[in-house]
Parts: sequence; structure tokens; C-alpha cells
Amino acid sequence: MATPSITKNMITLTIDGKTAKVPKGTLVIEAARQVGVMVPHFCYHPKLSPDANCRMCLVEIEKMPRLQTSCSTPVAEGMVVKSASSAQAQEARKSVLDFILANHPLDCPVCDQGGRCDLQDFSHEYTATTSRFKELKRVFQKEYFSPLIETQMNRCVQCLRCVRYCDQVMDVKALAPVGRGTLTEIKSFGAHDLDCEFCGGCIQICPVGAITSRLSMYEFRPWMLKRTDSVCGYCGDGCQITFQTKDNALIEINSTQGAGRNNGDLCARGYFGYHVSEHPDRLTSPLIRDGQAFKAVQWEEALEFVGQRLLDIKAKYGPDAIGGLISGRCTNEDVYVFQKFMRVVVGTNRIDSSVRYGHLNGVHAMQRVQGTHRWAVSFDDIEAADTLLLVGTNITETNPITGLKVKEAVKRRGAKLITIEALVPAIGSLSNISNLAQHHFAVKPTAYAAAILGLLKAVVDQQILDVELQVKAQSYFNDITANLQALSWEAIHAQTGMDSDSYAQAAQVFGQGQKVIILVGPGVLRSQGGFGMTMNLLDLLLLTGKLTKPGCGLAPLAEENNDQGAFEMGGIGAVLPGGTSLGDAEAREALSQSWGRPLPDTAGSSLPQMIEDAKQGKLKALLVVGENPLASLPPSSGIHTALEKLEFLVCQELFLTETAQQAHVVLPACSYAEKDGTFTNTEGHIQLVRSAIDLVGDSRPDWEIFSALSVMMNDPMEYGDVKEIGKEIRNLLPGTRTLGLAPLPAQPDATAIARYVTADYQRDVATRYQLPAIDSPDAADYLTLQVSQSLFHSGKFSRKAKGLLQVEAKGKIYLHPEEASRRGLSDGDTVKVSNALGDVMAPVGIRERIPQGVAVFPEHFDEEIRRLLPYTVDPETQVPSCKVTRVRLEKVSGA
Amino acid sequence: MSQYEKILLKNMEQPGYTGSLAEYEQAGGYQAFRKVVKDMQPDQVIEEVKKSGLRGRGGAGFPTGVKWGFIPKDHPGPKYLCCNADESEPGTFKDRQLMERDPHQMLEGMAITCFAIGAETAYIYIRGEFRLGASILEKAIHEANAGGYLGENVLGSGRTIKVYVHAGAGAYICGEETALLESLEGKRGMPRFKPPFPATHGLYQKPTVVNNVETMANIPHIINRGGQWFAGIGSPPKSCGTRVFCLSGHVKRPGNYEVPMGIPFREFIYDIGGGMRSDKPIKAFIPGGASAPFLTPEHLDVKMDFEAVAMAGSMLGSGGVTVMEEGTSMVWAALRLMEFFYHESCGKCTPCREGSSWLVQTIQRIWNKQGRDGDIELLSDLCKNIAGRTVCAFGEAEVGPIQSTIKYFRHEYEALICEAQATMPRNKEIPMLTL
Repeated sequence: MATPSITKNMITLTIDGKTAKVPKGTLVIEAARQVGVMVPHFCYHPKLSPDANCRMCLVEIEKMPRLQTSCSTPVAEGMVVKSASSAQAQEARKSVLDFILANHPLDCPVCDQGGRCDLQDFSHEYTATTSRFKELKRVFQKEYFSPLIETQMNRCVQCLRCVRYCDQVMDVKALAPVGRGTLTEIKSFGAHDLDCEFCGGCIQICPVGAITSRLSMYEFRPWMLKRTDSVCGYCGDGCQITFQTKDNALIEINSTQGAGRNNGDLCARGYFGYHVSEHPDRLTSPLIRDGQAFKAVQWEEALEFVGQRLLDIKAKYGPDAIGGLISGRCTNEDVYVFQKFMRVVVGTNRIDSSVRYGHLNGVHAMQRVQGTHRWAVSFDDIEAADTLLLVGTNITETNPITGLKVKEAVKRRGAKLITIEALVPAIGSLSNISNLAQHHFAVKPTAYAAAILGLLKAVVDQQILDVELQVKAQSYFNDITANLQALSWEAIHAQTGMDSDSYAQAAQVFGQGQKVIILVGPGVLRSQGGFGMTMNLLDLLLLTGKLTKPGCGLAPLAEENNDQGAFEMGGIGAVLPGGTSLGDAEAREALSQSWGRPLPDTAGSSLPQMIEDAKQGKLKALLVVGENPLASLPPSSGIHTALEKLEFLVCQELFLTETAQQAHVVLPACSYAEKDGTFTNTEGHIQLVRSAIDLVGDSRPDWEIFSALSVMMNDPMEYGDVKEIGKEIRNLLPGTRTLGLAPLPAQPDATAIARYVTADYQRDVATRYQLPAIDSPDAADYLTLQVSQSLFHSGKFSRKAKGLLQVEAKGKIYLHPEEASRRGLSDGDTVKVSNALGDVMAPVGIRERIPQGVAVFPEHFDEEIRRLLPYTVDPETQVPSCKVTRVRLEKVSGA
Repeated sequence: MSQYEKILLKNMEQPGYTGSLAEYEQAGGYQAFRKVVKDMQPDQVIEEVKKSGLRGRGGAGFPTGVKWGFIPKDHPGPKYLCCNADESEPGTFKDRQLMERDPHQMLEGMAITCFAIGAETAYIYIRGEFRLGASILEKAIHEANAGGYLGENVLGSGRTIKVYVHAGAGAYICGEETALLESLEGKRGMPRFKPPFPATHGLYQKPTVVNNVETMANIPHIINRGGQWFAGIGSPPKSCGTRVFCLSGHVKRPGNYEVPMGIPFREFIYDIGGGMRSDKPIKAFIPGGASAPFLTPEHLDVKMDFEAVAMAGSMLGSGGVTVMEEGTSMVWAALRLMEFFYHESCGKCTPCREGSSWLVQTIQRIWNKQGRDGDIELLSDLCKNIAGRTVCAFGEAEVGPIQSTIKYFRHEYEALICEAQATMPRNKEIPMLTL
């Protein structure tokens, strides 16, 4: 039933005789679509503001003097629109097609868009037959654009969708129309090759064949492609993708407009990073160590060998001598079967996953304060927010599509943005979220904690507090206030470079917000003290009365595609499937009932703990599933020694990674393009993954391998297919049923909050509210080095993607141009990077968005530089942090 | 010469008048602005201008007071005035003279307009080639700032009126008001689709008035002598006041002439312009700048006002009257104009972008004696498919010369095509099938 206010804002009109009832402000073209009238168009796109330049969507509207563009005309009460029923409009469209085809090369036979081209379709529909254009066609010289993107400007209809998308949606502004009149062509903005985020958006949004992908050029006709809807396997955003395959080969990936949580938008990783699955280095058969080398064996032999060795070790040292580590890239079903295998067949809680690398800090903090392990908000809430605070996200590079939601909120809906980021506002080839911020705190990667405390102090100073809660939880407020008052603005200023006024202004904006969301990224979650900082951000929401308000909340960003799912499936030893703690009697009971076996009583242990235990000889065997700890952790973590000490190391992998090279047995697993299952994205939305190509070689889904191993270990855990696992999970965990279009965000739990504000906060309030001791004011020649995520890669995995390697093929140590010139360095120079842990050589790169005093190195290429990284472990969450250090640079040779 | 009272050109036609502030003041300048600041409310000013019946002098002829009235009164943020000095219409050169010879007249008009609409910032968007005009305006603004007429606290009123000169970069389309705004914002000069109109979403999406130089120059006189007085000049009620018409082409005395609207073209061309330079009969004339369709000798008694010219099938436009004598090829004239429009089409919307190149190539072909049967019908069809279907008025403008020459001088096209068909080499060998 429509409420009166809705009816008042509804408008009734007729389009081609059909009655449409749409909200006020709807455009005629959209209203028409809703009643099944398709108005042809090129330049209109629901994501973009109307430009009305193609003139294809002209319609006749009664009482209006001439034909109107339906893409730019809002509906009005009683409007009578004629589209297909208007001879005048039909004739006008035909003439527009006539005009467009005049200069169009009609090279459909060799055009990759041929068969899915709007110009072709409309020409067909409007029976444009022989052209009366008898003059010479305009010809643009072919210009090289980029290794990934092909332009054929002769096919362009100048609708400017690509230019507008690049500006309005991506905020990159890499494209521009150049020239005038018929000589208008789309080029990169500035006289250089295209240098942008390579999101592929211009290719996806081009209605014709003017912009296409070079990765699949001339390899297919669209009708030869098989479509498989799935979910991207790179970051936690969980974007809908469609694999397009031909004869079992991946041809391209795209995303459907309006589909998925990404609404059809993708990033470079999603759009161009799909060749990993078909890389020639893929493992195609099980390998067993034979001296220094491996020998390829049949599955039976490998499984028998692994099963027997595990049984032997279990018999000899007990089940807790065996540990397991799984990647957050695996499906929920893989993780579920893995942890069940470990807990039931092996009989240990020594389980960990890549959630440990950072996302766990966010999840544990949410659990502790608001009693949920998921966000209490969704992507839709981010778009609808009026105030957003981003802390340590570098969102364009880590979670680019969540970044688009932030851009949408700020650019289109006027949300206020506060950013605490190791970024300086600068126009560059990538979008820079700090450019959009009203209040930006450009801090070093070591100063996030101080900046968060500054904001909290300003909130308390100005009494921007929730009065109701203040009465109920006096001691909580008093303790925090006392701790904050003990901090001096001078000390905060010294660490962050921002004065109390800046914090006061930002705090005011934060306080005034009605829909406030804090996004926290790896800069915080993966750094030392990350848990405490996340807790403090939750305090900020709680103190200002925003934690429980609808549309408000904390959103920790997951780095890997299924980090959230790995946690929820029990991929952490101390956590049972469903996210409850290992000690939860009720949950244990339910699980052992379902599994038909008791759960092990020992405590779960984390990866850092397993490293210690392996070094001390307490851990004898390790199953590593899709994870590569030798590359994820620096040598200072002791991971090398730990792995060397193991009696038995099994890796399930796609490639022979650093860790797999140390293994005794390597089992070939299949990639996300070859398997079915589900991924849970960072907002807690569970989505279907579907196999698009056949299994490569003898590779198998991870769950199938555990299932087979369980048989070998005489404790069969048999599943016919992935659906059976899904069913079992859904029966056990009611919260995993949300396979709809959008997630149902968790609700903050009042009991948990009450527990937190009455007693639980006391445990660590004093330590959390202290400024961290950071190294004495940096001596001029020291730089803070941050090893971090790049937009063009994801872990080490994406280094097998030939498309992405075209954009970024090696690591550089990136500096602000002034920082570099002060040090006499320029782009391409080789420097010696050194600190107490050692020294390595690296090439220099220049980036204006990096603050002075900071150097950034992409973690995907950190084989050398990670030797310089120190390693600490969070005492509460056992999250290792190893991404920031201090280094000196010394020029070795010029470019 | 002319018995009509000069209003806009009065000062500059005084011998030795250089347009400095002192001279302008001496001639009674800035009295209107003083009056406005001292005695009038913004609404009264708008009322007065409405009463005067002043219509925009840029080409479209929209009533100025009504345009000002569209500016929301209670808008919280800034509002802007943009003076359109991008005079680029072929055959039009009045604004240049008004700016170069009596800059304070338009600046006073702008100051009054800012007062009326509540704008604190005004821009003069001047055609890039008008280097001289720009430097004269810069100097005049400097003088007016020093004299307290512009800048902060103008005439002690506490109001701020800042005027800036911004030079275009050579695009005809930037004379179109929304393209002008885009260009002023630093973007590519392409028209915006309307609505929303600049009155609510103009420069930087703020309420904005865009007025032509000559329109601005009229304002001080309307304030000084009253809307009633102005409404009595010319051809009331729809075409009040004088216009500075620009006379060019095959006439004895080309130049700018200020006359009341409503005199017949015959009087303007023959009495004021001295008639045809060769004493050949007149063949055709453009009544209002290159965008206006051609008229013929039978229209010489049409009155030079908005309605009468529109009735005759053309438009008064920017007031540029271009006269052509007997012997001129009208196909060639249409081609020349079409070449201009082809060069200046911004490329934003399909019919204009593609249509202009198609049109120009077709007429070129006809002119080059390669015309074909059906070309005239093709031209007419293309014109029909462009006009009324483009984002801005450029579409109508570019087809005007072609449609009107086909209408009045179709036989010239036909003759060229006939000659082409008769003389085109026919030496193509047809291959024979031999066994």
C-alpha cells in the first residue's frame, strides 16, 4: 500500500497509449522503459547525467512545440508521450541514424562489437537501407591508445558516454573529446598514451565498437560467447562479473549494468585480470617431492601419501601437531569443508586463514562492541550517507568499487567527506579520494592512531556527545574523557601535523551527520595497533550516538574476496562456523550433532602461534590451502625457519608459489573460474560463484580434495557436489541464507553494547587512548616506508594476469616529486633502501599523491623489500602487522 | 545624414571622445547608476526595464526585464551576470564598437544589472580576437574601480560588484549562452541542454543572467529617461528602442548605424547606406546576421523590427544587414556561409555535427559542377532533419541560408546541376565480357 506521501509524489502519464505511474523527477525515457516502451538512444545512460547529444531518443509530447529528447525531459502529470506511435519521431530517429551512418565505416564484419552494437540494432530496427551520403567519409588516423584499450574513432558516435563515465562515475577524467564538429574524437586527456585506472568502464559503456578491449581483439564474435554469471575473485567488494567464454577459453569479462553490488562497474583487476586461470604455469597434476625436485603423480598416489603421513603424524604427536591455513580467496564451501576436515578428521582447532592478516581486527572489534561480525550497514547505506569518514583506506587502490559508492555519495548526493589517509590531494592518473574531502588529514601511515584520537578529543572537547547514553554509561564516558583530556594537542599535532582547529571542524561535521559511516581500511587494520584504532572508531560512533542509528556504522574493508566468508565459515581456529567463539557450548552441540562427531577441546591457534610452535617443534605438519605465507609475511616473522622445521608441508595451489616450492606434496587446486560455490563480500553479502571453464588439467576444487583425503584417512566426509555443502551450511547457519539481491545488514546488539560500556571497555581503555610511541621526530633522511596494495594487483596472484602486467609489471619505491628532488632522485633511478634489517635495491617512481616523508612500495612485488619489514603481533587479535617501517635511501645509479 | 536621435552612439560620435571615465561622467555617465543605488530598489529597476520593452540585442530578442525577473530572489549563494561580448556572427560588428569606443556605457549597464539581480560578480566573456576591446575594458574597469562605481562598497552602498574580463579562445558556439557558461567555467565550449535555464542553473550551476553588450549599453538610458520613454521609441509595443544595425556587403557606406526599430529596410539600405555601390539592383540581403535566412528585393519595405522580419520569414537577429547586388551567385553565398557553420559546429549533437559536413560537401559539389539530380531535394531534406532537432539554435541557424536560397533562387542551383550533368565527362569505360 502506498503511503499518502508517496502517492503525492507519483506522476501518471501515458506513453504510446500505455499508462505509467512513476515518481516525480523520473525521466520520460525511464518511465517508458518501465512500461515496456524501449526508446532508442546512444548517449543516455542511467548512471550518467543526461547530455541529450545523440538526439536518437526524440519523442513527440503533446502540447510541446517540437520533438523532445526523452532522456532529458522529466515526466509531468497527464503528459501524453508518443514514441513508436509517432511518425514524426520515427522519422527523426531514422534521420539521426542516416547522419551517424554517413561517416561510419560500416566495418561490422571485423568489429568486435558487431552483434551487440546499438548502432547495428537500431539501423536494423529503423530499416536504414541505402545511404544518400555520396561524399567522402571522414577518416581518423589510427592512434595508439594503450596496450589494453583499442580505439576505432571512425566508429564513434560521439555520445561522450565514455568521457562522462570517466569523469562522473570514476572521477578519473582521463578521456576528453578533442577537435570540433565532425572531427571530434575521443582521446586521452593530454598528449600522452592513456594513463588511467583501466577500469574498462569506457569499453563497457561504449554503445558501438569505438572502444574495445585489446586483450580479446578479433578473437570472437559475440554470439559465439557463452555467458557465465559469477563473482570476481580479487578484492572484498564482491563484484558481479560475467565470464564470456568461447570453446572453454576465457575471452573477456564484463559486468551487467545494474547487476550485482557493483551495479555493473568494475576495476582494472576485475576487467583485465582474468588470464590468471589460463596461465601456462598452472599446476595440472599432483606433485610429490623427490629430493630437490618434484615428480608428477596420479591423484590416488598423492592422496594416499598425504592421508597416510597425516595419520602417522597424528598418531605419533597427537592431532595438535597438524595445522591448517586457508586463503580468503577460497569459497565458503571450501573453507567450511576445510575447517570441518581439520576439526573432525584431523581433530584439531589449529586453523587459520588470511582473515588474520587484517580483516580480523575489524571483525573482532565489531563483535566486541556491537556484537556482530558483519557490517551494520551496506553499500546502499554508503551511497545514502550524509557524512563519511575514511581512515587508512586508500580506497581507490584497495576496494575500488566501494570507493565508487563513496564517490557517488559525495559527488552526486552532496555527502560530507572526512578522510584520514596517507594521501595528499593531487590530480593524477588515478582518482584520489582525498581530492573530494571537505576535511582531509594527510598523515603518515604511522599516525592514524593519533589522528583518530585527535578526532575523539575534539568530539569530547566540544561535547558532541550522546546525552542519553552519557547518563546510562557514566563511567564509560568519564574514563574516555579523562584519557582524552590527558592527551595534549601539541602531541597530536606533532604526530599528525594537524592542529586542534582542524579536528574541531571535522568533529563538528561528523557530529552533525545523520547518516554517518566510517570506512576503515588496511592502513589501519593491517598496522600495529590496528585493533585498538578500530575500537576507538567504534567508540567515536558510540560517544556521538551514531552506532545504533539506522544508516550509521563502521565498515571495515576486507582485502580478499572472501575474507568475511572465511571468518564466518570458521576459518579461524578460535571461531566456529557462524562466527561464534569456540567455547560457545550451544554452537558446539549443534555442530557435533550435525557432524556426528565431537569437536576437539583444544584452543584454536593463530598463524603467528603456529609459526612459534613450528619453530619449537610442537607443530609438525601444515596444510596450506591457496595461501602463501612465505610471500605474505616478512622473514622477520620467522616463517622460513618455521616451514623448514616442519616434517610435512602440503600445499593446495594453482601455481608453484614460494611456499609450494618448500612443500612435500603439492596438490593442484582449481581457480574461481572453474568452480562453483559462494563468496561473501565485505558487507556480508553471499553471492554465487559459477564455473565458467572446465577444470585445468587434473586440478580439483579444494573441498573435493579434503573430501577425498577424509576417505583416505578412514573418516569419510563425502559430498556429491557443492550444493550439498551449501545445504549443510544453510541448515546449520541461518545467517547464511541471504542469497538475495542485497544483504540484510546486521543489527547492533543492545546487550553487547551494554556489556561493553559497563565493564568490557575497561580492559584496554588506558592503552587504546594513549598516543603510540612513534620513533622520534623523523630525522631528515629517514622515510616512512609503507608496503601497500596497488590498484592493478591483488596479492601475488594477479602477477599471472597478462593484462595487469601491461599496466604495472614491477615494483618501484614511490616518492612525492618534491621529496625525490630534495634527495636528488628522479624517476627510474636505482636506490639502496636500507634499515636495521638490511638493504635492498629498488627503482624510484614518482607520485604526487604520496605525502612527503613517506615512501610507498606495492606489496605485490615485495620479494626483496619485505626483508626490511619488522613483524609484530597484536596481543588481543593475534593479527600480524608488517607493512610499515623506516628506511633511508641512497642513490646508486641514475635512470 | 540621419534625422534620428542617437542614444548608444551619441557619446562616441562627439569629436575627440575617447571613452575615458572623465569624459563619460561629463556626458552624464553613471548618473543612472547613482540613481539606482540611491533611490531605487532592485525590483523597481527590473520593473522599469520590463516597462521599457527592451529585448535582448544578441539575436534571440528575449525581453530583458523578464529574464531578470526569473532570477530567484531568495537564492542563498552567489548569482552571476555574464555579459556576452563574444560577437562572432558574420556581418555583425556593433558590440565591438560599443565596447571599444564607449566602454563605460556598458559597464554602467552591467553595474545596474548586478544591482537589480543581486549579483556581486560579473564576467565579460569577450571574443578572443577582440584584443583591443579587452584591453580597453580592462582599463575602463580599473577606472571604474578607482572611481567607486565597481569593486567593493560601490558608491558607498556597501554592495560589491566585481567585473572581470574573460577572453574566449575562438569558437563561434561560445556566443550561445550555455556554451559561453561552459567555456567560462573552463570546460569545452559546448551548449548545455535546456531546461534548466541559466536563470536558475547558470554559471557554476548558480542563477545567472547572460546579456549582450548592446543590451547592457541600453540600461543606463532606460534608467535615466524612464522605461516609458524607451517604450515610445521604435516600433512599440514589441520592438522598442533603437538598434545599432551593422550594414555590410555591396553598399556604398557600410558601417554601424543607430536607428529606431521599425524603419523599412529600403530606407536603411538606400537612404542611410547610400544604396548599392555599383548601382546594380539589389539581389538579396541578410536582415540579421548570418543565421538569418535571406530576404529579397520584394522585402525591402519590411519594417526592421522583430515581428515584421519574422513575418517575412527571417529574423532580426543580431542586426547585421548584409546586402548582395545583382550578379552575386546565391549558391556561392550559401556555400560561403555553410563553410562557416561547418567550421564552427561544435560537434555535440548528431544532426548538426554530421549534417553540417554533409551539407557543405553537397553544396561544394554543386558549386564545383558535380551536382546531381536530387541534390536539391537532398539539401532540403537534410535541412529539415537538422532544424528543431539540435541541442541549441545553431541547427536552425545553419540551415537558414540554404533553405532561403533554395526557396528564392532554386533556379541557380538547378542551372549549376544542369550544367554539371551536361558537361560532366562521360568517358568511363564499361568492361565487355569477352569469351
